[in-house]
Amino acid sequence: MSAPAIVLGVIGADCHSVGNRIMEGFFSGEGFRVVNLGVMVSQLEFVDAAIETDAAAILVSSLYGHGEIDCQGLRDLCIEKGLDRIILYVGGNLVVGKTPAAEVEEKFRAMGFDRVFRPDIDLKEAAALLRSDIEARRAKAS
Amino acid sequence: MKKVVSIDIGSTWTKGALFALDSPAVVAKRDTPTTQDGLGRGFLAVLTSLLGLPPGTRLADLPRDIPVYFSSSAKGGLAIAAVGLVPNLTLQLAKLTAMSAGGKVVRSFSFSLTEDDIAVLESAPPDMILLSGGTDGGNTAYLFENAARLAASKLEVPVIFAGNRAAASRVARILEKKDVVVTENIMPEIGQMNLEPARDKIRGLFLDRIVAGRGLGEIVEVLGSRPKPTPLGVFELVAAIPRVRPDWDDLCVIDMGGATTDVYSNTESYLETDTVVLKGLHEPRNKRTVEGDLGLRVSARTLWDAGREIILEGLDKAGLPAEAMEDFIAAIAADAGLLPSGEPQKTLDRILAEACVFLAVSRHAGGWREAFTPQGRVFVQTGKDLRRVKAIVGSGGYLSRSADAAVMRGALNRLARPAEERKLAPERPAFYADAAGLFPLAGNLAEDYPVEATALALASLKPLS
Repeated sequence: MSAPAIVLGVIGADCHSVGNRIMEGFFSGEGFRVVNLGVMVSQLEFVDAAIETDAAAILVSSLYGHGEIDCQGLRDLCIEKGLDRIILYVGGNLVVGKTPAAEVEEKFRAMGFDRVFRPDIDLKEAAALLRSDIEARRAKAS
Repeated sequence: MKKVVSIDIGSTWTKGALFALDSPAVVAKRDTPTTQDGLGRGFLAVLTSLLGLPPGTRLADLPRDIPVYFSSSAKGGLAIAAVGLVPNLTLQLAKLTAMSAGGKVVRSFSFSLTEDDIAVLESAPPDMILLSGGTDGGNTAYLFENAARLAASKLEVPVIFAGNRAAASRVARILEKKDVVVTENIMPEIGQMNLEPARDKIRGLFLDRIVAGRGLGEIVEVLGSRPKPTPLGVFELVAAIPRVRPDWDDLCVIDMGGATTDVYSNTESYLETDTVVLKGLHEPRNKRTVEGDLGLRVSARTLWDAGREIILEGLDKAGLPAEAMEDFIAAIAADAGLLPSGEPQKTLDRILAEACVFLAVSRHAGGWREAFTPQGRVFVQTGKDLRRVKAIVGSGGYLSRSADAAVMRGALNRLARPAEERKLAPERPAFYADAAGLFPLAGNLAEDYPVEATALALASLKPLS
């Protein structure tokens, strides 16, 4: 099985590019085929890129507090476009203010994200989770 | 003194020139109506006349010391159906590839080809099908599905496969009963373009399969010269000029004809700054678009539909009623060769021409949308930035005969109006007319003689004020 493709990007009108570049370098080093869409990425761009590259997962970043609005409906769009089994991760400073992490996670899970990450997540841990999620999904498919 | 002949077989006229290359000059020019029932006859008539040979000289008896270059856009040009996966990605690139190879995109399809799509293709088969989709290592499912649909169809036209490398051999097997050519992926990675290999295959197929079918096979065989689709020659000329003459960098050519309007540009499509973010494809420096619904005669009706708002505004300004345009369009429908006689026909023609340039440039050019972010205001660019274009050459019947730049300038002024999306049209260009109609003929030489072709093309331009 070839290296799984993953699509990265910072969603919405968010220009924070430093973390995005770190993630690109890190996940490439971990053996993923990284498709990095950079900053200010729309939902449709994530989905289009995932279709063309046959990606196993979309990793959405949001740093500027408007993540909730920007991410709304991404899962639905994926389903509409035929990406029924794609893994969706989201991470960063997802909401403004001091909402408890568990509440944030619940909110984004309800939107259809498989995992929700806080900004201080260890990337090694995220990569391990991603790998096992991809394997699980592949096992289910075959 | 080294001389070459260049001939362009157009849909109505077959035009030719004899060029001297040492100090590039036009020695002679000839034209004759295109002989629809056998393109070779008109070609031979122009060729013998240029060489000063008696009419009726046979192809086999021509002297071989003068090379003959030629192009053809007769019989509808090179019709290509483009198939891609996602509309904004591989399908858009497939269309760009077809157009930059001198083709005209007659149909385009994204995602799965349906039974209806196949029926449409079967009822009016294009000259070839460009099948793309998927990055290398990316999606294969749609490609296999679409290849199977094509394989099961009655279509006999060549299929060029320029999609996901990982799907290539299986697609070739699926299509083994068809005429299939496999080449490199036009989009190996997201946002990365690789148009040349597919362009090259399109050109090869044009030569091998299509030219022969249009009565030009004998010319190729006897003269040994290889024709191009007419727009490809112009594309190569527009690519060559700034290489030879850096002071002519940032160039644009608008070729407005009766049936189609082509726009060529040679300028950097995106300059990265902190305040401009590019979305979608980073378009190529050399780009051609062709609009099949925009033209002054055969396509006048579709132009009227596409540009109604602009045309009505023009009519209003000229104090003419909409019915005047309806009547004019009806007159054109009855006679596609109509030359406007007096007023108001000349004004109506000008209004159509301005709308045509406006729409064609608007579709070729990209745009900026303003976005407010916590980091401040940024512009989101899609498509190609033409603002730095320094010179625009008007070609084709109407624009090459223009006495001034009013039509082109009027269209650009309209593009500069504030709108939700700011169009990245040329800001302060100088205007020229291809007054001698030399661009297609010089274009035929651009690949082998870029320096001479550039000199010939530029010397023939008429500055417009």
